Amino acid sequence: MLTKTFKRGIHPLHGMHEGKGQTRDLATREYVSDTVVISMAMNIGAPAKPCVKKGDHVDIGQVIGEAQGFMSVPVHASVSGEVVAVDQVPSLGAGNMQAVTIKNDFADTWVELHPLGSVEQVDPKLVIPAIQAAGITGMGGASFPTHVKLTFKPGATCDTIVVNGAECETHLTADFRLMLEHSTRIVDGLRAVMRALNVSKGIIGIEDNKPEAIEAMKKAAQGREGVSVQPLKTKYPQGGEKQLIEAITGRQVPSGGLPIDAHVVVLNVGTCAAIADAIIDGKPLISRICTVTGCVRQPANLLLRIGTITEDIIGACGGYSETPGKVVFGGMMTGMCIPNDQMPIAKSTNGIVVLNEKQAKSKDESPCIHCGRCVAACPIGLNPYQIKVAADKSDFAAAQKLHVMDCILCGSCAYECPSRRWLTPSFKFCKDHITAEAKAKAAAAAEKGGAKK
Amino acid sequence: MSEKKSVGTVFFNGIIPENPTFRLVLGTCPTLAVTTSALNGLGMGAAATFVLVCSNIAISLLRKFIPDQVRIPAFIVVICTFVTMVQLLMKAFLPALDESLGIFIPLIVVNCIILARAEAFASKNGPVLSAADGLGMGIGFTLALTLMGAIRELIGNGSVFGFNLLGGSYEPMLLIVLASGGFLTFGLLMGLVNLAVKKFESKHADKEGQAA
Amino acid sequence: MSLRISTAPHMHNPLTTQRLMQYVCIALLPTAAWGVYAFGLPALLVLGISMAGSVLAEFVWQKIAKQPVRINDFSALVTGLILGLNLPATAPWWMVLIGAFFAVIIVKQLFGGLGDNFLNPALAARAVLLASWPVHMTASACVNPTFFQAGVDAVSTATPLGAPGSYTLMQLFLGQCPGAIGEVSKAAILVGLLFLLVTKVISWRIPVIMTASVFCCTLLIGGATPEAALAAVLSGGVLFGAVFMATDYVTSPITPWGQVIYAVGIGLIITLIRQFGSYPEGVTYGILLMNIATPLIDRLPRKIYGIKKEAKKA
Repeated sequence: MLTKTFKRGIHPLHGMHEGKGQTRDLATREYVSDTVVISMAMNIGAPAKPCVKKGDHVDIGQVIGEAQGFMSVPVHASVSGEVVAVDQVPSLGAGNMQAVTIKNDFADTWVELHPLGSVEQVDPKLVIPAIQAAGITGMGGASFPTHVKLTFKPGATCDTIVVNGAECETHLTADFRLMLEHSTRIVDGLRAVMRALNVSKGIIGIEDNKPEAIEAMKKAAQGREGVSVQPLKTKYPQGGEKQLIEAITGRQVPSGGLPIDAHVVVLNVGTCAAIADAIIDGKPLISRICTVTGCVRQPANLLLRIGTITEDIIGACGGYSETPGKVVFGGMMTGMCIPNDQMPIAKSTNGIVVLNEKQAKSKDESPCIHCGRCVAACPIGLNPYQIKVAADKSDFAAAQKLHVMDCILCGSCAYECPSRRWLTPSFKFCKDHITAEAKAKAAAAAEKGGAKK
Repeated sequence: MSEKKSVGTVFFNGIIPENPTFRLVLGTCPTLAVTTSALNGLGMGAAATFVLVCSNIAISLLRKFIPDQVRIPAFIVVICTFVTMVQLLMKAFLPALDESLGIFIPLIVVNCIILARAEAFASKNGPVLSAADGLGMGIGFTLALTLMGAIRELIGNGSVFGFNLLGGSYEPMLLIVLASGGFLTFGLLMGLVNLAVKKFESKHADKEGQAA
Repeated sequence: MSLRISTAPHMHNPLTTQRLMQYVCIALLPTAAWGVYAFGLPALLVLGISMAGSVLAEFVWQKIAKQPVRINDFSALVTGLILGLNLPATAPWWMVLIGAFFAVIIVKQLFGGLGDNFLNPALAARAVLLASWPVHMTASACVNPTFFQAGVDAVSTATPLGAPGSYTLMQLFLGQCPGAIGEVSKAAILVGLLFLLVTKVISWRIPVIMTASVFCCTLLIGGATPEAALAAVLSGGVLFGAVFMATDYVTSPITPWGQVIYAVGIGLIITLIRQFGSYPEGVTYGILLMNIATPLIDRLPRKIYGIKKEAKKA
């Protein structure tokens, strides 16, 4: 099997099946809780605006939050029942956000659906509007609105759709299970996008630690026009957009650019499956597969309604097996910590990893010994230790000169650092600071220009 | 000059607060080269002090007559005169010291301490203040050189001013009297002096703060 | 319920600085063992004083400077061990102690402590001792495998570099020749190298390329026969330097190509000093000089994802 890959990178938990052993062979089972809290901030860009009020009865798939402009998607009810609250709840990394709380009546009544039919026959012009209407955002973690990704700026061309089935993050097996159990749906979604964009090549990239998934996807791709499966070397961050493009097409996304600048669109396998659901069944995105693992009694892959609360999910997995120290949404390399287990899952939550107190303990930084492990790890080819020196001095100009803006925050350098330096956190701080500064500058310049007029 | 300086302040200024060697880092070339023994350091310092005082007075007296455009050549001519005097006197009366200092006596001409004081002080102040400045700076330079010479001689030769202090069984650390040892001693001493001055100043500032 | 919050990543490679330093210590053990076996009790004393002195110096400095005491990171111990292995077994105790203090306080701590020194502390200390007490440093003891003998006589035996051809390649390889405690047995050094490579403490680049560089430079510049070039590699501290000192993280370049330039440069300087210099051995200065060049080498441009060369000019 010819596998492709990118330069450098790391092998976290290599001798331990990348931490996936606990859930790898567990078929997904559905779990529906009696309350869901659906945040309106499901995507990068403008949050949706709630259009239901307390006491309303909603059916599954009913729009409860309207999209606000192009960089926004609608939000749908994921259970049927009564709206018990429309209020502010804490959200991950974005302060308080509006959310709709629905009490499930378990009647499972759907709103009227409008299927578009087979992906091979559907009118290509209807695909992208359908994707927006179904509320689909990137399911791999970044939650970028998919219809925006598929709408190119003038002059841009695309010749390849890459489907990301690498799942290089540790511990997560949600995409793996999806590829095994819903392989045809993924290919259907890919075909829909290929027809919508008039692209003839669709490549599904899968790491070679998932041979079953490669087999299943190859089988599903058989006889489908232009679709192929590309095995990839198991290496982190193989599933990073830029790394995936480099591995599969040999092209590089120019610095500061988007995949489309390399004539490629990258979609997660989950996103593809959601697109297929939206076209074939007319169903909006109301549930997703989520890996629950770590210190829980029964690790599992659960099919969860969007908005299910973490505490209920842990309960469905038999509860905590140890006192939890940290609960991470996503994988161990890039996931986000949640402050308490009342946090509901979002469309992009592909996993919940529970760490015990010992694993959660933060380690003190010790002096950098210039061992070069960060340089050997960085998939971009940066010099993390030099950027860190600049960052520690708050010398943002120097950090920018060292290309901190090209950092993808994959965490490889920080993982490898024997001195436990907080490399990735300080690069994130640098990037945020530089972006904010540039924005403020642009705003000031715009104001000045306006004053002159 | 906005505030009137006293002769005493100007004099002491050169010894510690603006010590030419450790604080202003001027004249490092002779500092590194001749301080292989305490005597060399003292001799070099004395010669430089003589030139410094004389040239400061002369330049201060001439400051109104020297056109600004040609002041540096004029200063150098004045300094040269005194350096030649020192050199000839040394050759006549201290031939041994002249031998060991060698080229560094004529090189006093281009010693930046002397030119710097002429430019920064003597050309702007009267002869009395300039003399005090020259003497203070010269003594500061002499003390620094003698101290460095003594330390290097002690470690690298076991003696100070030729008197053996550490006994016959002491095995001298040759490196210290070599060039690299000069840099090492200079760097460490500079660090120590700066540390001491910093400590003193912060204490002084505290006291003043309390008084206020 | 309180949960910890932190930014990603949430896990680390279990390899820590402390563990790395412990691995280096372990890798040095065969070399040290051979040194003690070959030179007897005095060698053990030199190593002991050197290690104890280094750790003590680090402790005292960190106490005086009111810094957190980090002697448990093993870095001072490694410095002490490498310094000891760089000295002849006949070195007097006070010289070893001065070397240890110089290495830790002047070369390492005064420049900012672990990670900020621009010279390899042990090597810089060796250079200082060599310049200060050349007689003690060049006195080489005969190899006399009687452990715990009363003392080793400082005999001015011809070192392999002083009199080429006086030892067979096998004798040089096994360490049956005079020299510093750690540098004599190349077999023991190779065992250490193997350990460091297996545990992934160092990469093969610097040791292999530096040794190859010495070999090639001796062939090309010195016009030596291949046997003589091999003897040049096996003589003196080339292998010990290549495996344990040139690979010092802090003072060697970080990037792969930087390491190649660095290693080739060391080999070249060693050969130049040996062939044309007044010192018989050039490993110390070869490594120290390239240590100084390391910050510059690290600034060589690298290929970064998504940034093309043409774009840079614009």
